[in-house]
Amino acid sequence: MNAMTELDVETVSAPFFLRGVLVEGDDVIHRSRDLGVTFTTPKIDLNQAVFPRTEVPPLLNVPLAEIIDFLVETGQRIQDSNNGFMQECIDRMCSTHILPRAVVENQARYAATYLDKRKLMAEVEQNFPDPKALDGWVPKQDFTGRKSFVRAFAPRLIHVLPGNSPGVAVKSIAQGAMVKAINLFKMSSSDPFTMVAILRTMADIDPNHPIVQSMSAVYWRGGDEATEQVLYRPQYFDKIVAWGGGDAISNVVKYLGPGFQLVSFDPKTSISMVGREAFASEEILDTVADLASADVMTLNQEACVASRFLYIEADQENADRFGAKLHACIAARAAASGDVRPLDMDLREQVEALMMMDDDYRVWGRPDGKGLVIRSDEPVDFHPINKTANLVRVDSLDDAVKHVNVATQTVGFYPFDRMTDYRDRLASGGAQRIVHLGEAGPSTIGNPHDAMYPLHRFVHWMAHEDGCGTG
Amino acid sequence: MGEAAERLTGLRDAEDRYDIPFADIRTAQVEAMNERFQERKDSIKLLGHRAREAGLTEICSHEDAVQLLFPHTAYKSYPESFLTDQRWDRLGKWLDTVSSHRVPPQDPARIADMDDWVDKLQASGHYVSCSSGTTGKSAMLVASRQDMEWCKKEAVAAYAWGSGITPAQDRRIFGLAAVAHVPRNLATGEAYVAALQDPKVERFAYPVPPMTVGSLTAMVVLRKAIAEGTAKPGDIQKFEETSAARQKAVDDAVGIAAQAVVEARASKLHVTGLWLGLYSVARAVRDMGYSAKDFHPENSIYVGGGLKRAKLPDDYREFVYETFNIAPERNYQNYSMQELHSGMPRCRAGGRYHLPPWVVPLILNKEGDTLLPITGSEYEGRAAFFDLSIDGRWGGVISGDKVSIDFSPCACGNKGPTIRDTIVRYADLEGDDKIGCAGTVDVYVRGVA
Repeated sequence: MNAMTELDVETVSAPFFLRGVLVEGDDVIHRSRDLGVTFTTPKIDLNQAVFPRTEVPPLLNVPLAEIIDFLVETGQRIQDSNNGFMQECIDRMCSTHILPRAVVENQARYAATYLDKRKLMAEVEQNFPDPKALDGWVPKQDFTGRKSFVRAFAPRLIHVLPGNSPGVAVKSIAQGAMVKAINLFKMSSSDPFTMVAILRTMADIDPNHPIVQSMSAVYWRGGDEATEQVLYRPQYFDKIVAWGGGDAISNVVKYLGPGFQLVSFDPKTSISMVGREAFASEEILDTVADLASADVMTLNQEACVASRFLYIEADQENADRFGAKLHACIAARAAASGDVRPLDMDLREQVEALMMMDDDYRVWGRPDGKGLVIRSDEPVDFHPINKTANLVRVDSLDDAVKHVNVATQTVGFYPFDRMTDYRDRLASGGAQRIVHLGEAGPSTIGNPHDAMYPLHRFVHWMAHEDGCGTG
Repeated sequence: MGEAAERLTGLRDAEDRYDIPFADIRTAQVEAMNERFQERKDSIKLLGHRAREAGLTEICSHEDAVQLLFPHTAYKSYPESFLTDQRWDRLGKWLDTVSSHRVPPQDPARIADMDDWVDKLQASGHYVSCSSGTTGKSAMLVASRQDMEWCKKEAVAAYAWGSGITPAQDRRIFGLAAVAHVPRNLATGEAYVAALQDPKVERFAYPVPPMTVGSLTAMVVLRKAIAEGTAKPGDIQKFEETSAARQKAVDDAVGIAAQAVVEARASKLHVTGLWLGLYSVARAVRDMGYSAKDFHPENSIYVGGGLKRAKLPDDYREFVYETFNIAPERNYQNYSMQELHSGMPRCRAGGRYHLPPWVVPLILNKEGDTLLPITGSEYEGRAAFFDLSIDGRWGGVISGDKVSIDFSPCACGNKGPTIRDTIVRYADLEGDDKIGCAGTVDVYVRGVA
């Protein structure tokens, strides 16, 4: 029976890309759990996945300006609707990805907008006090007269990619290129296509360019010891740049040691805080509900910046007024996106249990994936996902601060003039960003991500001491 | 109970209860499920909600029944904050939404802790069993006194059928596992003792403190406190100490139990427990120099549950059987779950689990939303059942198990539906290597699992 059900589903092939060369093959069958789709990949030639330390990285002496020009051209080609690699990729994605086609297409288009000359330069300038250290050995002298040269030397990086956003694929390529790294991208089972499609687009520009020669993208099942035990070594890589938590990180952590460091982008939950000022007038309340719904519905609530818990400073009656409006706004955005995924059985079950609890909880909408708001006095203990918002009523936003924790990323805030009163306490609790309500998505170009400047951590800081002599 | 349900559950002690072809009782089962539905739709709040959502006023087919099944997770749908904040009144209110009989309002001020809550409910006729969930949260299953009486009789009847042993109070029972101290387990344990244990000898007491509902949920409570950042280092330290003490008791119990089993080796034994515990004791018995030849040839065994993620050598079963001299025909196996009050005993000739006529098979697709054909030869799917015997809550449940069911006669000759001895949990089948940037604080909690 098992064999039969496996044949029932379509099998898609996911080729690899190894330093400029497309590698096709269907040696290994994998499953993408989200849709129960199977995909095939070639066997990985592990020798091709690493770059000998006896050779300097190919991008080392390519000027940053040339790298950025190449990335900008890549961005234009990603957005070009005649780009066969990207079109084919989107076709394949829709068979393995949980989001609808229009959302996937928009994401790819939006992701490419990151490949903009001014954005990329701003990113570098914010990460490095002196970006010249990327292109050469920057002279230094301390107050004792000792001199040296410092270089942000090109590292060897493994990127363990998430599968929920093509934006991360684009960003990882750009960041890996700008620090001139040798990059091995380990793709996710929910998106084993986008990275390869972008790299093929780049190879189409110039297959021999050092940027193309510095990039490889492969898939193995996360946690596969046969691969990870072999590859995760300081002799091959300096850093492992990993997204996610739980098993994804615990698999990686056991290989860390001297010379092999982790730069982790942690899984995050975002929230909103809405002050009593929202109730100043019916118009304001409508506006605030719409702003809040924009944050909830960021990437249809698949992304870490998407709000899940909204703390509202109100009595129950006002909280319920806001809840009804919030639900209407979320439902409208859900309908407009064409996303009709129903809630998972577990989540549905927990929501229905709350619906049975009379006044303690109030629920707007049904657990049918068309938008849902649950009002409670304490945050619910499940993870609101798939167009679900938990509206938590508090007497004062001061009471909401205790719910900020080490997993909190973005806090969307209203009214904006109270943000300064809260930012220190939010940072102390573990939060990373406080933003205007409705603006969870955008951020100032080059700002820290996950409480760090990542490019600064990627590079291999090398010093050339040049003594105290005058000569 | 309605006439059809009465008739089917009345077959509990019938000799031929596993020999009834499904086709012969198909209609009766639908009638019986509908009787149950009519009795419960107004008393079980969640069921009423489900029925309204589905637009059902009666069950006319197995397909209708599927729309009214509760996933096993329904019994862990209570907000965890009720436990952490000791909101016993609210927890009672939640329990009431899945209970057939009204759970009386409780004054939280008069309840000391989780175990006290369970005890006070029991005094009002509500028996709450709780499972140690694999996801951390415990399922809470409410049952009635009538259910407890049923469990006692059914467990022994199924054992007698599956093992071929007529209970004769001529054995010594060796329970070699720290069993969760919940009403359902206590009831069946009591029934086994009454049926099998030689009253002239004292029953072996496994020297590990029982796990109460309170101790099962203590971990959940701490985990949440760590996640919220309210647990102090001292709280974690205390929990670690308690866990270490418990582990030591479990480790020490192996030697004590092995010693006791060896001393009792001349008697006819009934050994029971989980694989890990049984294997550890068997290992110790072998190390003491004893094996099959030293034990009574009519010894019997009952193993509850699967491996539960324990890592044991490939031949762990044979090793245990050979140590205690268990002949294959006296190796009793039973497929059941906390959510059901009836078992499916394994036959000796065919090695398959047999469904009794009062347990309606509703095998679903993997997603758990579509009924697969209830006919013909073997196929695979998600196990879901309607246990007509259950009084205290709704009898229809969707499990997390992947099973192969067959509606054609078994090799043992019995003609009722059977399940192959290859049951696995879907959750254990496929790990998930999907990574996203969105996630919960749960992954920031280490070491409490």
